[in-house]
Amino acid sequence: MSDFYETGPSKPVTESIRVDKVSPRSRRIHSLRAIVVIALAIFLLIPIFIMAMTAFKTRSDVVSSPPKTVFEPTLEGFVFLFTERAIITPGRITKLQEAAESGDLGLFDRIALKSGQEITGPSDYVTRLKNSLIIAGVSTLLSVILGFFAAYAFSRFNVPGKDDLMFFILSTRMLPAVVVTIPLFLMYRQLGLHDTHIGMILLYTVFNLSLAVWLLKGFIDEIPTEYEEAALVDGYTRMQAIRKIVLPQAMTGIAATAVFCLIFAWNEYAFALMLTSNTARTAPPSIATMLGRGGIEWSAIAAGSLGFLIPVVIVVFLLRDYLLRGVTFGAVRK
Amino acid sequence: MSRKLYLPILLIAAMLLLAACPSAAPAPAEPAAPADQPAAATEAPAEAPAADTSGIDELSILWAQWDPADYLQQVGNLYEEETGIKVNIVQEPWGSFFDLFATEMASQGDTWDMVVGDSQWLGQMATQGHYLDITNFLVDNGIKDTVVPATLVYYGEYPTGSGTYWAYPTEGDADGFAYRKDLFENPDEMAAFEKEFGYPLDIPQDYDQFMDIAKFFTRPDDGLYGVAIYTQKDYDALTMGYENTLFPFGADWKDADNNVMGVINSPEAVAAAEYYRELYDCCQAPGLSNAFFSEVNDAMISGQAAMGMNYFAFFPALVNPGTNPDYYDKMGFFQNPAGPSGERGAALGGQGLSVVSHISPERQQAALDFIKWFSQDDMQAKWAEFGGYTTNQAVFESEEFLNATPYNRAFAQTMQNVKDFWNIPEFGQLLEVAQRELSAYIVGGEGNAQDTMDRIAEEHDKILREAGYIQ
Amino acid sequence: MTAISQAQKESTGQVQPRRQRRELSDRAILNLFIWPTLILLIAWNLFPLIYSLFLSFTDYSAIANKAPTWVGFQNYADILSDPQMWKYFATTGRYALVTVGMQTILGFSLAVLVQEKFKGSGLVTTLILVPMMLSPVVVGMFWKLMYNPSFGYFNFLLGFRNPSTAPEMLAGRFAGQPVPNLALWAVALVDIWMWTPFVMLLVLSGLKAIPDYLYEAAVIDRASSWFQFWRITVPQVMPLLMIAILFRTIEAFKSFDLVMGLTGGGPGDQTELIAVNLYRQAFLGQWRTGRASALAYIILIVIIAISNLYIRYLNQAKED
Repeated sequence: MSDFYETGPSKPVTESIRVDKVSPRSRRIHSLRAIVVIALAIFLLIPIFIMAMTAFKTRSDVVSSPPKTVFEPTLEGFVFLFTERAIITPGRITKLQEAAESGDLGLFDRIALKSGQEITGPSDYVTRLKNSLIIAGVSTLLSVILGFFAAYAFSRFNVPGKDDLMFFILSTRMLPAVVVTIPLFLMYRQLGLHDTHIGMILLYTVFNLSLAVWLLKGFIDEIPTEYEEAALVDGYTRMQAIRKIVLPQAMTGIAATAVFCLIFAWNEYAFALMLTSNTARTAPPSIATMLGRGGIEWSAIAAGSLGFLIPVVIVVFLLRDYLLRGVTFGAVRK
Repeated sequence: MSRKLYLPILLIAAMLLLAACPSAAPAPAEPAAPADQPAAATEAPAEAPAADTSGIDELSILWAQWDPADYLQQVGNLYEEETGIKVNIVQEPWGSFFDLFATEMASQGDTWDMVVGDSQWLGQMATQGHYLDITNFLVDNGIKDTVVPATLVYYGEYPTGSGTYWAYPTEGDADGFAYRKDLFENPDEMAAFEKEFGYPLDIPQDYDQFMDIAKFFTRPDDGLYGVAIYTQKDYDALTMGYENTLFPFGADWKDADNNVMGVINSPEAVAAAEYYRELYDCCQAPGLSNAFFSEVNDAMISGQAAMGMNYFAFFPALVNPGTNPDYYDKMGFFQNPAGPSGERGAALGGQGLSVVSHISPERQQAALDFIKWFSQDDMQAKWAEFGGYTTNQAVFESEEFLNATPYNRAFAQTMQNVKDFWNIPEFGQLLEVAQRELSAYIVGGEGNAQDTMDRIAEEHDKILREAGYIQ
Repeated sequence: MTAISQAQKESTGQVQPRRQRRELSDRAILNLFIWPTLILLIAWNLFPLIYSLFLSFTDYSAIANKAPTWVGFQNYADILSDPQMWKYFATTGRYALVTVGMQTILGFSLAVLVQEKFKGSGLVTTLILVPMMLSPVVVGMFWKLMYNPSFGYFNFLLGFRNPSTAPEMLAGRFAGQPVPNLALWAVALVDIWMWTPFVMLLVLSGLKAIPDYLYEAAVIDRASSWFQFWRITVPQVMPLLMIAILFRTIEAFKSFDLVMGLTGGGPGDQTELIAVNLYRQAFLGQWRTGRASALAYIILIVIIAISNLYIRYLNQAKED
């Protein structure tokens, strides 16, 4: 088949003749395919639906057997998520109930009271979500930018020791995080990076760089070099050639890489737990915090996870056109 | 291509990095101290004349994320009102509490002034000098005599019997059972039970009765099961659960000379394992194959289990109408039943308050001042009133405390008979063996009890010999 | 670094001054492009790598106030002569094979299915990616709830209503009877569910990059769609697919948070993956830092060996 790539079609192509674009049979296949895809997507998303349902259940509804599909929705999970509470000691309950009846309590207080708790203050969820946004956002940008340039160099230039360097970059992802934690902890303490935004941003950038370089090199390798070379011959500088020719074609790869980097940085748990304590702590450790008091606060965990999922879904949805579009001009291939 | 390039780059960068932060290299710190002898900061200011604490307006205490920590925060608020010093209880989830604290200690950190730490950590923290020796402080201020003696031994003393103290017993805790009073007191159930077993249905006095009751209430068709017991593999839950049969059956992990062979695989220990397995097979609520306190409470709240094993500190959620809307008023509590020979016993929970040795002498003094204030009888009464499990002798024995909640009386009974797992620095390795083998036998349904306990004994013996506890 | 770019080599014969300028800037550009990344990676990884390599030859606990004592290869010898460790490696191997294998097959199929655009395909594709956007900790907790035989939806949707005759996935039992490996497959299923979208997205980008003219030419040559698939689609996607497989395999050997949340390695040691055991030795009350470092290096060597195999295959695939 390799000669096929070199020689191209044996007859001149005058119009698109891809079968699925013309025959009525393949149009039926096309719509059948859409139905299959939607059915599969629904199937895959069942656990997510259940999570969304759980976010609106009361605690006892979550642990009812058999599982309930019809239930009275409540905002309890969200109250648990956004507030700090303490269980009311039996003696104080009546006092608070009276206050509730006389209308002295707000909506959140009343919901908390219903589950026998009183609100002692706001939870850290919002500040931590903000930290997550800053840290994950900046580190994703950094990994993609650094990764793109490095990948371009590895793809286009004759880098000495290229294979070794690429393998070194990959190997930085291989050491289990568990072992890296303690040396990193000591290092961060010494450098004053412990519990700082910049420390977490750099850490996640470093962690994502290996994936970013490898992926982007894979994508850039696919882009034919002829256009760039032609552009260089025409007097473009290297930077202009990259901006005008490589960058637009690499958008699919850049979008995919950004999505992966963002997802990792957004959800990272172990390092965040060990290397932050307060100012730079992100949301994942605080979701796990809701695990254990007298029992598992399922609805709060579900609400927290859901709220935490939405920003990523929005970003991916905004990037979808880049993720799904084909390479714009593929006529010239190496 | 040039394979030669890789290594030089690494080495040069290594040197640069190490030169840039020389102190980041593995810090060997102080000269080594023998593992079995508490090194630590004995020359710390506990004995010295009170340091000047005037510059300190905030104290932070690390604890796990749970209700007692909220209660302690309320105590801390009182301290702030009285002295102007803010007390901050920092709560970390149970799953990462120890990892986080130990990592901080590994770097000699001073983020927290005090920690409410598990009894099992004592060996590690005391021998490695992370806790302040507070023996003289407790003795000189008469605090030692205000607490229930057994709690001071378990939560504060290391090595056991040495008379050296590292913590003020703060939250007493142990395992007991919650049960469904509506089932136990239902006339139909009572009649049916008596007809079947020949004695009246009541709180089980021994483990034979307990098994009868568990089987009696196991009715899969009604979604009801006899028990909810600990089975979690991650850390220590299954081993703690098993201890609740191990100790009453008259066995223990070790004898007085730290011997394990013939002790942890004694016929009593084997019988206790067989009992726990039978209980799991016949009567455990479904889905509780990796269960700890929250899963057990969930099983009680959902009405799945007639009896649930748990630490007393987790029982408040069961009598709270908010968290347990269906059964909060139908909950009763009892101490672990007696074993075949009438012996009682329970796995120890709970924590002592220790001062971190890496903080400045002024902060240490301020921390000790707080403990001194906190240990007063009336403060301990307040602590108990908020919901904490005081270890203060006077409060502990008062009728007021015993009647304050439905579970306090069972708690007070249980605390007379508690025992603990190993607390030596090697406890983690011993725990891994026990967890793996017990989980395979009880949850996985593999092998038999004798082989399981033999393997535990052999491996424990090996670990203890290597560490020099057995000659 | 005396790098001469291909572009320069090819552009010989250009007007002298312009070439001169580009040659300089190309070399500068190469350095400018590569070094920030390399410096960052070296600075962040070197200390941890060397620190743990050193500790792997010592008897040391991170929380001990004691200097590490040199023990040579003792830790390595201990680990390699411990049959339990071999068992954990075998479990991990099986787990990696099943999860990565299934993710490849399913991810590839899904990508082929969604590559054609239809109304709302952007939204549907985004939704298919959702499992991978969740935090592993959350996924572990929720699947534990899902698998619960009485209040979980897994058995419920499969039609098992009575817990005592149903599978109890995480306990590795079916109707009370132990089923070998059931717990491991239960964990693997969650991993597959979560990470199939990762493979799908990469394959999808690969598919989108295949130029239409290849297919068009094949049609003109009357090639069957089977032929098109094996001779055009698969080879064209292979480089990206291999990267996906490579990264998933590395992650499988490092995977521990999902297992910790679901089974904690139990029952017994049925789901004790090597990374779970590593965590147990490095933390969880043990703090055997020296031994854990040695184990980490053994894992690292295994991963490097596997990666090398993959990369060799990847380069082959590219040359074809």
